[in-house]
Amino acid sequence: MQPLSYIAPKSVEEAVAAFARAGEGASYIAGGTSFYDMMKLDIARPRHLIDVTGIDGLDGIETDGDQLRFEALAPMSTVAANRVLLRDYPVLAESLWKAASQQLRNMATIGGNLLQRTRCMYFRNGTGNPSSVGSYPCNKREPGSGCAAIGGLDRGQAVLGQSASCTAVSPGDWPVALVALDAMIEIVGPAGTRSTPVADLYRLPGDTPNQEFTLAPGEIVTAIVVPKTPAGRRSTYHKIRDRESYAFALASAAVALDMDGNTVRRAHIALGGVATKPWRATQAEQLLAGQKLDRKLALSAGRAAFEDAKAGKHNAFKIDLGARTVADALMIAAERKA
Amino acid sequence: MPAAPFADRARFDARDKVLGRTAFTADVQLPNMLYAMPVPATIAKGKLTSLSTAQAMKVPGVVRILTADDFAPPTPPPKGAVGPAAAPPPPTISPDIAHRGAPVAVVVAESIEAAIEGAEAIRAAYEAAPEFSPLITSKGSAREASETVKAGNAASAMARATTTVEAEYISPAQHHNPIEMLSTTAVWADGRLTIYEATQGAQSVKANVARTLRLDPALVDVKSGYIGGAFGQKGGSQRQTAIIARAAMLTGRPVKLVMPRGQIFHNATFRPLSRHRVKLGADAQGKMIAVEYDADHQQSRRGQFPPRYHEAQTQMYGIADYTGTAANVRIDTQAPGFMRAPHPHPASFGFEGAVDELAYKLGKDPVAFRLAHDATVDPVSGHPLSSRYLNECIAEGARRFGWDRRNPKPGATVLKDGTQVGWGVGCGAYPSITSANIATLRIGADGKTRFAVSAHEMGQGIRTVIAQVLLRELDIDPDKLELAIGDTSAVPQHVTAGSWGTASAVPIAEECARKIKAAIAELVGERKIAGNLHRQLATVKRPFVEIEHSKLGPGQKPEALAALRQSGFALSGAEYPEFSTFSYIAHFAEVRIEPRTRRIRVPRVVSVADCGRVISPRTSASQVYGGVVWAIGSVLREETEVDERYGGWLNNDIADYVMPVNADIGEIDVSFIDKPDPLLNSLGSKGLGEVAMVGAAAAVANAVFHATGKRIRKMPIRIEDLL
Repeated sequence: MQPLSYIAPKSVEEAVAAFARAGEGASYIAGGTSFYDMMKLDIARPRHLIDVTGIDGLDGIETDGDQLRFEALAPMSTVAANRVLLRDYPVLAESLWKAASQQLRNMATIGGNLLQRTRCMYFRNGTGNPSSVGSYPCNKREPGSGCAAIGGLDRGQAVLGQSASCTAVSPGDWPVALVALDAMIEIVGPAGTRSTPVADLYRLPGDTPNQEFTLAPGEIVTAIVVPKTPAGRRSTYHKIRDRESYAFALASAAVALDMDGNTVRRAHIALGGVATKPWRATQAEQLLAGQKLDRKLALSAGRAAFEDAKAGKHNAFKIDLGARTVADALMIAAERKA
Repeated sequence: MPAAPFADRARFDARDKVLGRTAFTADVQLPNMLYAMPVPATIAKGKLTSLSTAQAMKVPGVVRILTADDFAPPTPPPKGAVGPAAAPPPPTISPDIAHRGAPVAVVVAESIEAAIEGAEAIRAAYEAAPEFSPLITSKGSAREASETVKAGNAASAMARATTTVEAEYISPAQHHNPIEMLSTTAVWADGRLTIYEATQGAQSVKANVARTLRLDPALVDVKSGYIGGAFGQKGGSQRQTAIIARAAMLTGRPVKLVMPRGQIFHNATFRPLSRHRVKLGADAQGKMIAVEYDADHQQSRRGQFPPRYHEAQTQMYGIADYTGTAANVRIDTQAPGFMRAPHPHPASFGFEGAVDELAYKLGKDPVAFRLAHDATVDPVSGHPLSSRYLNECIAEGARRFGWDRRNPKPGATVLKDGTQVGWGVGCGAYPSITSANIATLRIGADGKTRFAVSAHEMGQGIRTVIAQVLLRELDIDPDKLELAIGDTSAVPQHVTAGSWGTASAVPIAEECARKIKAAIAELVGERKIAGNLHRQLATVKRPFVEIEHSKLGPGQKPEALAALRQSGFALSGAEYPEFSTFSYIAHFAEVRIEPRTRRIRVPRVVSVADCGRVISPRTSASQVYGGVVWAIGSVLREETEVDERYGGWLNNDIADYVMPVNADIGEIDVSFIDKPDPLLNSLGSKGLGEVAMVGAAAAVANAVFHATGKRIRKMPIRIEDLL
């Protein structure tokens, strides 16, 4: 905890300018449901907070055209309850209402949610400050210090996408559903406006697990755009966790199916809770294309999704559980009406 | 004459709690108050070699930093003291680091933010010990045998057994995590020290703070009016109390600490990991005749929490031959302690699992098997049991649950979608202990009544229980009834724990009520005065009548009152001079297990308790709901994890220490036998809060076996155990 300046600009342009003016230690903050945690745990040490929740008119939801467009400050709870999503894109709505709690979803924004940090306990509880108490090396937090999760209590760690430096799981649900549906994000920054696939927002840990996102300093996510797809209605976000609600995924699967009778024309599959970033299960999608879906094929697809998985000491079960989660998600989605 | 059943009554403080008016200890706000923040040690064991506070003192708002230099060694225990009164008070700030997270300094500042910033600015250097033992399996752990509990001759009885089962069950380390954090506010003014603390033992806090700070206990008052959950974590003396008191004395201002949860995980007591190797033997008729049960648990290097795992298991099934060993395994952690149903919960998980295993091995129904083992005698003391309605609990529970519809074959009950269904039973007992008690009762002509007694309100409903008895006996204004509890400046306070609160408070409340009624009747004499007691006093022009009264447990000697004043511990039972008393419960659980992803759900539980006469039906039912929820958490969710390379607790917050949420809990059907115990006290009340949870974890685990055919002998049972 340290003194900091605080400003609440009224427009995106003002926010970007304020970030540039603030210089070192500047940080945007939206709902704060994750970022305040990071501050209390002494992981984030901002000098200047630029609160973007005061920006006018950046919380719109448009579902009329050939795409779904969500502005970044729409609360998770509002998007989760959107009737079009509930009917036509259950994978999106479910990924939101299966995340956090109602109180947190009321505060959290769908843009900020994309940038949630990992729940790796060695990352969170390792700075030795009065709240975190633990003291653990972490390459994500202190580059070069090492990774305590490797060889440690790694039950919750990733089995896909990890490196010798980091096995931390990407915690989100909403980003997983977005990746499955090929969503794009709109970004405004000092260099102007750009657009990129949500999938490209995330980096693999490699040797630099401290660099998690591809946003340049000062850039703000302003909107999320999901192309409409015939697979929307036959979709689900299936999330398996240690309790029924209010917990992060042990394994989750975002699935959307475009079907011709029992035959899969095209499958969208992404994985959560098991990988270092929202994970597109391309092999599983390919295996399903043109095939008649039954439980056996669904499990084969699940296995294919984890073909490259590698377990640590305590998380081998996640490979099996993850495959079964994909299989169950496929069957749940297939039973829905197109 | 046994007490008549009690009618339902709303919680005494329900309205205030719902309206947010109740002031919990962590809510205390005083003028000119300072805020404290401890600095946790970042090594698992060793020595603090230097502490740099200069930067921290420069933080605006930081007033003072307490270090080990601010504390002298505590005074030795009083001469001739034994038991809890002789135990050393908890350490304060020490350069000797016994475990990760121990305080190496405490920053006191004008605001909580400044205190945290100051704490983060302190630089500590350590010399880490070359080795430390974070787990009971670590090198350097030290096993220390404790007292063996014996009844009859288990070895020879076991030799006669024709069927035996032997299995080891493991109960993990767990933390209480009440909603209200550990919290202490200290005021040093006019030569007196006043401490507001969320504690179940105001008197023992008083005694220990006085010893630690070398004060006359007569100068110390401790107040614990409302506690936001305690569960044993707030039963022992807490480490921060004397530190915060010292801070108040050094600064001359009130000082408040609300401890961050991560530090609570590392400094509060917790439920230690325990192991239960249970061997049961049955004779050719299928009667259990022998128990050999070895228990041990993790212990700190100097901890005192005893491995008393046999205190209730001996009372379960009338088995005359029982040998129970117990041991501490000393390692480098903070001291473990009492957590709801401290010993019987983990012990019953193992014992009731083994009983289930034996029933299956004998081809017997687990309910019928238990019913065939009723008891009338405590096999350890040889005394008769004053009351025992366990079989009534089992029979009524089985009826409510629909047990007779159960297909006995494990793994045979499967729904269309492949979901496996299992039904399990688990039972429990808990000692019914009684504390000596002192009370004052004052009724005024102004309509007010004030009853001061030894008890602490941590949400269990002790105020409601006391009100039930007083309002049944006395014609007084219920809206102006004040219950002064948890306050050493009123009357001496016992440590309210171990389910002795109600059975210790209600008999004295009843006697006080009768005594004051007699006193007022004497004043009124032959006159006929209409109206309640206040009106009668007003009519005879007496502003008030006040009485003081003390009460001992069955067979207790008068010296117990001195012990109550001195340490807050003045207990008798569950073995009384002429009888033994236990509370009992039977739980029935249904589990449903997903066919592929193997999530375990508990859609319903039926629990029937024998706690003697039920004094407050509503808060009693709440106690059992809470106990069942906790057991579900324990058996399916909760474990505090240690990375042996580092020590300390890794999942030290309630995001990663997974407790049940509402969505995890299905229907819980609670009922009571509600028959008064004939010997324990005038109302026939036995304890409830602890027994509520005993055996429920086993019921769930036994249901998991019934559903799957797989016996999981450790808590928590997780998805990966059934994949």
